[in-house]
Amino acid sequence: MKVFRAHILVCGGTGCRASASEAVHQEVVKEIAKKGLSNEVSIVETGCNGFCAAGPIMVIYPEGTFYQYVKAADVPEIISEHIVKGRPVERLMYREPVTEKTIPHMQEIPFFGKQMLIALKNRGLIDAEKIDEYIARDGYMGAAKALTEMTPDAIIDEMKKSGLRGRGGGGFPTGMKWMFARKSPGDVKYILCNADEGDPGAFMDRSVLEADPHAVLEGMIIAGYAIGANEGYIYCRAEYPLAIKRLNLAIAQAKEYGLLGQNILGSGYSLDIHVYQGAGAFVCGEETALMASIEGRRGMPRPRPPFPASQGLWNKPSVLNNVETFANVPQIILKGGDWYASIGTQGSKGTKVFALTGAVNNVGLVEVPMGTPIGDIIFDIGGGIPKGKNFKSAQLGGPSGGCVPASALNTPTDYEEIVKLGAIMGSGGLIVMDEDTCMVDTARFFMEFCQEESCGKCTPCREGTKRMLEILERICHGQGKDGDIELLEELAYIIKDSALCGLGQTAPNPVLSTIRYFREEYEAHIYDKRCPAAVCSKLFKSPCQHACPIEMDIPAYIALIRANRINDAYKVMKKTNPFPGVCGRVCPQFCASKCRRGQLDEPMAIAWLKRYIADNAKKPEIKAVEVTRRQKIAVVGAGPAGLTAAQDLALRGYKVTVFEELPYAGGMMRYAIPEYRMPRDIIQSEVDDIAALGVEIKTGVKVGRDISYDAIKKEYDIVLLAIGAHKSWTLDIPGEDLQGVYGAVEFLRAVNLGKDVKVGSKVAVVGGGNSAIDAARTAIRLGAKDVTILYRRERKDMPAWENEIVAAEEEGVKIEYLVAPVKVIGKDGKVAGVECQRMQLAEFDKSGRRRPKPIEGSNFVLSIDTIVPAISQSSETDWITKDSGITVTKGGTIALAPKKKTATTAAGVFVAGDAAKGPATVVEAIAMGHQAAAEIDDYIRAANGEPAYKAPAEEVIEIPFEVDEEVTETPKAKMPELKLSERKITFKEVELGYNKKTAYKEACRCMRCDAEL
Amino acid sequence: MAKLTIDDLKRIKEKVQKEDLFRAGAKRIKVTVHMGTCGIASGAKEILDTVMEEMSENNVNDVIVTTSGCIGICSREPLVTIEEQGKEPIVYEYLTKNKMRQIFKQHIMGGKIQPEFIMARGKEQDGR
Repeated sequence: MKVFRAHILVCGGTGCRASASEAVHQEVVKEIAKKGLSNEVSIVETGCNGFCAAGPIMVIYPEGTFYQYVKAADVPEIISEHIVKGRPVERLMYREPVTEKTIPHMQEIPFFGKQMLIALKNRGLIDAEKIDEYIARDGYMGAAKALTEMTPDAIIDEMKKSGLRGRGGGGFPTGMKWMFARKSPGDVKYILCNADEGDPGAFMDRSVLEADPHAVLEGMIIAGYAIGANEGYIYCRAEYPLAIKRLNLAIAQAKEYGLLGQNILGSGYSLDIHVYQGAGAFVCGEETALMASIEGRRGMPRPRPPFPASQGLWNKPSVLNNVETFANVPQIILKGGDWYASIGTQGSKGTKVFALTGAVNNVGLVEVPMGTPIGDIIFDIGGGIPKGKNFKSAQLGGPSGGCVPASALNTPTDYEEIVKLGAIMGSGGLIVMDEDTCMVDTARFFMEFCQEESCGKCTPCREGTKRMLEILERICHGQGKDGDIELLEELAYIIKDSALCGLGQTAPNPVLSTIRYFREEYEAHIYDKRCPAAVCSKLFKSPCQHACPIEMDIPAYIALIRANRINDAYKVMKKTNPFPGVCGRVCPQFCASKCRRGQLDEPMAIAWLKRYIADNAKKPEIKAVEVTRRQKIAVVGAGPAGLTAAQDLALRGYKVTVFEELPYAGGMMRYAIPEYRMPRDIIQSEVDDIAALGVEIKTGVKVGRDISYDAIKKEYDIVLLAIGAHKSWTLDIPGEDLQGVYGAVEFLRAVNLGKDVKVGSKVAVVGGGNSAIDAARTAIRLGAKDVTILYRRERKDMPAWENEIVAAEEEGVKIEYLVAPVKVIGKDGKVAGVECQRMQLAEFDKSGRRRPKPIEGSNFVLSIDTIVPAISQSSETDWITKDSGITVTKGGTIALAPKKKTATTAAGVFVAGDAAKGPATVVEAIAMGHQAAAEIDDYIRAANGEPAYKAPAEEVIEIPFEVDEEVTETPKAKMPELKLSERKITFKEVELGYNKKTAYKEACRCMRCDAEL
Repeated sequence: MAKLTIDDLKRIKEKVQKEDLFRAGAKRIKVTVHMGTCGIASGAKEILDTVMEEMSENNVNDVIVTTSGCIGICSREPLVTIEEQGKEPIVYEYLTKNKMRQIFKQHIMGGKIQPEFIMARGKEQDGR
């Protein structure tokens, strides 16, 4: 027998063949022959070895190395590395999966653990098509008990005791409904089941009918017996074929067993149930319309009273209950009304099924005890919002319900509590919406739905919904006008009051609730023609540009990178942004959060591309602008807001002087952001461009110290305050006067001023934002041995950027979550430690995050010698006198005059940047700088009776349009970084920037949403 | 068939419980493919077919295959529950044909559960 030194086993089972193991096999044969190894290595095609999911599989003996996901292209590497050189190819090797012990139990997964199953008790456990399996889990025992041991009145009493309320949405007490029908005279009565589930996003009824149809039948038998009905209908829409199939099967099986039909279980009671297929009209979910539909008439509602309990189907007393209501009934009869009433809240008993959909990780069907907070359903059971986005709203109750904001997350699921929010429990649809949802568009969607589904019988609904829809469409298209919101509200109340049936009466709810909670979004559409969520596409060219506070033409400069025209790209950026080099490094990228590419794989690396252009383009020469206006303007503070305004005003022909207290211009860009993120020459060159226009920048001059505010006010016609927020908030705990306590802003400023700042060896930083990370990473670079960030919430809640957090951790910064300092401990006047308290997350706050709450007795002491509070900062406003006319808000910012964007309450005095907004970002400061310049110019021109400013024609830069034919999933290009060892000891820039090739590759990922096709 | 009485109902219940081929020990493993609309839409039918194919290809006859409805977490379909006598049920998520083949060979035939594809073990609890 021939002896081989190695055997290559290629799996040829069905599974691996399906994943192209054939090609791998052929490639192995080819490669072995090519390398002349045919006499040394045998190639065997094996049968399936079971690891089909990881196929194609290859095993190489004698070592028994197991390779998975082998592609034909990998074969040459395997042969040359493994067979020839004896080095197994690590990247293709099988990795031991996690051990069995780590598998969570169902109850440990919040999705299942926090649910309580009554209506859904058989889900996933029984075969819905086998009646015996239902019987084996106590099926029909409730009906048996009701028919043989109980009188109809006793059943109704039990139902009343249970507190069960209609699960279709109305919430009418089920026992009462049955009692009315029972008391109605007549020998022919009907029991009806409403399975006409039509709310967008709701699928509770379908799921119950598919998984457990007998539970509904059993509930109907009990109800039918209680009211004295011998015939029943299930009204189910035809678009639920599987539910209808299983229902019909269940009815046939129950009939065969004598559980339906004559003399059920020998009790003398008879009931026949029919399935009636609806055509899918939403209005047929309304009870009188549903009955009209069963009668063979057009599905339209009629006025009530008479109520169906006295005159229902064919004018006979009838009870109509929803699928979920019936599914609860057998359990109540079997276990008793008291048992059921022990679950839930005062007014809402038992459990409720919700169809959880939308922007939530676990889409599905959940059943929870009544009273469970809405937030628990979304965040614990639903697993929160995908892709780390923020929660915005939850839509409850479908088209009849409403959209509630983050402040409603603590509201318990209780009929009355939800109504107070302006929504309804409804049948249990719960659509989660994240920050990328436009509330006006959502209202428009629901209004369109109601308008289309309106039966047309009554005028308020037929005409009113149409008019409301027209207004909403106008607003979404950018043609909204003043008064539209009020008109919508007026129409809404008229329709609510005068429509014939529930559909019309509740149709305005989505509009009213969105106006109630998201009015500012309507206003943004109407007055600013902006869609903050970047959804209403008629309002913008591309979502990224729309999301940018200064509307940078992002697709244009990305296209110019692709076309290798970065000098033009630079000019495009400079049109709106005087600091592209800065923003390319530190912009929070509102643009990227709306980037459509992010829906495919990852958003574009917009800032990094911007940086590539700013770093590599040839800068055009800047010439001074002639002063043509006689008014003199003073800008206090040379940060991004002040400098942007100075630039714009200089371009409009004004003489501008900027006063800056610190030795260099740049503001927070220079004195808060550390050098390793923001090299100083980049800031300086962009500042120089502004100075080159003729703007005079006086550094080292503090207003109030070197020159009085009054003197400036006297000398200049206009004063723009762009003083920033350079004062750290204190923690407001004992011991903050000790030596070794530095506010983050003061600490970073001292370092950035080049002062000899001594940090101790053990540093604690308090906070979770970018400043906290900046302070921590700076402390590492100054030689601190041990740096710990104390943050009171969880990592996912940190406002700091993820890549910054990761970089800090790489550099050795430790982060303690759910911890808050309560006292700084001193020794000989110096910091010696900090006493902390562990926190736990409790109810939701207004931002939609869980509020941290101290755990009593959890205090511990961290031994430290330096502590840096980095929780927030505010402006220095103590120089402002009463007679200056300037007002300071409670939040410490400078107040704006009513309806103004930058004008203060003092004549001729304007404000921009952090001083007006509180701590924000560079790009927001730039936006406000632009705004201030425009408002100042308008103010001056209006005072002189001059016409408004007209911008000169801009240089036209032609933007190429080139996109890939096919889009393949590619994550964004990685940013090369400085070696870790060097990072920890120097302030050299950590991120090294893209090279030409990487930038081109990244630019090609852009899908060009700006294109008009 | 004759009309049922309450005693018949109880008898059926006991009979089903006793006759449960799986609990009675005649079958070794019970495979439940969850086939609500959500499961079917995500390919549960293909998963069920794969199980049947594997059974006939490998002459396996000590396995019970059954279907059931949605277990609630629709976004992780297709889901399959595998129950072995005396052991906690294992729920596998996001199944594909190949994953199902691997689970069949490795877990059902080989007794090695496949943690990479598992959502959870155990059963849900119903109301108090």
